[in-house]
Amino acid sequence: MNRWTTALLLLALFSVMVSVSMGREVSFTEALSVLWHHVTFGYGAVPDPIADRIVWHLRLPRAVLALIVGGGLGIIGAAMQTLVRNPLAEPYILGISSGATAGASLFYLGFLPPLISKALSMPIAAFAGGLCAILIVYSVAGSRGHLSVTRLLLAGVAVASLMGAIASFITLSSPDPDKLRSVLFWLLGSLHLATWTTLIWPAIAVSIGLVVLLVLARPLDGMLTGDESAHSLGVPVESVKRILIVLASLVTGSIVAASGAIGFVGLIVPHAVRSFTGVTHRRVLPASFIAGAIFLLWADLAARALLPGAQLPVGIVTALCGVPFFLILLRQNRHGFG
Amino acid sequence: MRQICLLFLVITGCSASSEGGRTIQDDLGRTVEVPHSIERVVPLAPNITELLFASGAGSKVVGVSAYDDFPPAVDSLPQYSVIPMDFEAIVALDVDLVFASEQVNNPKDANTFAAVGIPVYFIAVNTLEDLTRAMRDLGELLGTSEAAHKRATQLEDSLAQLAVLTANLPEKPDVLFLVETSTLYAFGQGSYIHDIIDIAGGHSITKTQSIRFPILTDEFVLASNPDVIVGSFGPGFEKAKLLAHHPAWDILSAIVSDQVFGLDPSILRPGPRLVAGSWELARVLHPEAGTNP
Repeated sequence: MNRWTTALLLLALFSVMVSVSMGREVSFTEALSVLWHHVTFGYGAVPDPIADRIVWHLRLPRAVLALIVGGGLGIIGAAMQTLVRNPLAEPYILGISSGATAGASLFYLGFLPPLISKALSMPIAAFAGGLCAILIVYSVAGSRGHLSVTRLLLAGVAVASLMGAIASFITLSSPDPDKLRSVLFWLLGSLHLATWTTLIWPAIAVSIGLVVLLVLARPLDGMLTGDESAHSLGVPVESVKRILIVLASLVTGSIVAASGAIGFVGLIVPHAVRSFTGVTHRRVLPASFIAGAIFLLWADLAARALLPGAQLPVGIVTALCGVPFFLILLRQNRHGFG
Repeated sequence: MRQICLLFLVITGCSASSEGGRTIQDDLGRTVEVPHSIERVVPLAPNITELLFASGAGSKVVGVSAYDDFPPAVDSLPQYSVIPMDFEAIVALDVDLVFASEQVNNPKDANTFAAVGIPVYFIAVNTLEDLTRAMRDLGELLGTSEAAHKRATQLEDSLAQLAVLTANLPEKPDVLFLVETSTLYAFGQGSYIHDIIDIAGGHSITKTQSIRFPILTDEFVLASNPDVIVGSFGPGFEKAKLLAHHPAWDILSAIVSDQVFGLDPSILRPGPRLVAGSWELARVLHPEAGTNP
């Protein structure tokens, strides 16, 4: 753990504290006393039950979901950028998020049968949708071992539109207008449905993602140098690519099932992080995780503060920050890391 | 004062125009030119259909939206989509006037209707007073004043009767009205929902929300701690469905004391059955107050 990671961890902890104690209904000190009560397993004054529910059962799961989703998108963004060896890659831009949304809405509106359990079916449907999307994009962009960046981005845009159209079609053809309203809200990406139980699957998927990517840190470093040289370094390039594609779909799918499609976190975060840590994945991945978590926490705080009565979806805030960033990157025209 | 203003608008607004029609003003303050005799009309929302039938103009309704289900006479009428608006279907029905709902329909749809020469009259029902006022306006416009006036007076009498029952209740519970169980859509400032909660003997906790259709936070609900939660969830609703989406609500007064109710959404439309809806709500809030007929 270097000092950047330590600093980021402290900042993340501070951000959670701010996120949990900001709001009109419960004062800052009251929120802290609720946290203190739980963290010390019941030491100190028993908090007011309403404040307890607000802080411990609403704000904290929401903050933790922001950490998981932001962190997950951060590491998947970093991995995607390595996969395609281009800084413009990101689950949202490459259509994975849209695919996952289409899959999840197919299930949510009853067009797909529930498998295993209801809680698990939605992430599975989202995973399948995301995997379809990225496989299409990837196979269109690549030919004879070479990946065209232009085709990658264009295919990403096209597949995202296609998946968006499918999700909209499903939504509009739903006979239940109440469900329709929920889906529309959720398509924009929001953390407002967070509870301790909805956190479980994204937490598991993101943990798997982080562990697998850390294990692959060395091969990923090798892949930055190009397929051939990675191959000569002994990296099983094709296998790693397949793992990355499945992993990106798994993590994005479980995230989308919990919070909808939140874009551009995976784009901004690894970039910002690399300027501090350099390009080695052993450093980039943990730092991207923590920085993504912090970024989404603050984006959610901004969304909550901007329109308190309207539950502004956090995806709007991340897009407002992310799109200019994307355009600047596009303009700089640096198709590589450096 | 408001009534006087409206009367003034109606009187000064009705002037003969050169093409044998007349110019009136609708609830949005738009100027609408309508023919002298209006024989074929269509509503663009279910509450408007119910208002037309209640105003005695049911026989002039030549089509209804795909969402319509009341009164039973609508089942035999041609249907059309209103979201998105199927303009061709309306044109094919050869109508004299279209009635739109200010809550449901997009004011821009009127421009497309204007382009094909069909006038659109917007109706806004944001209070219980608006309800009977709109019925009388419709009666006057469509030449069924007597029937409209009679029905409107009946509804007003029924509401007055209810108001007497609930006027001196010792306690008025804090009521949260919800549209849906997961995302907390509610009614803010200037909605008729607060009127019916009021007349049913309750106090609506979203009455002062500045946004017209706010999305509430779980925090707001917890901090407001309503005594009763009512939703357009349909009869036989169980609180477990609400708790499944909002587990943190388990300590709310309404949940602890089992005061969570679903009402039939169709009687909560801003139409004539809203009076029945007000009585139904009063039965839920005050079963002891002689609200059972």
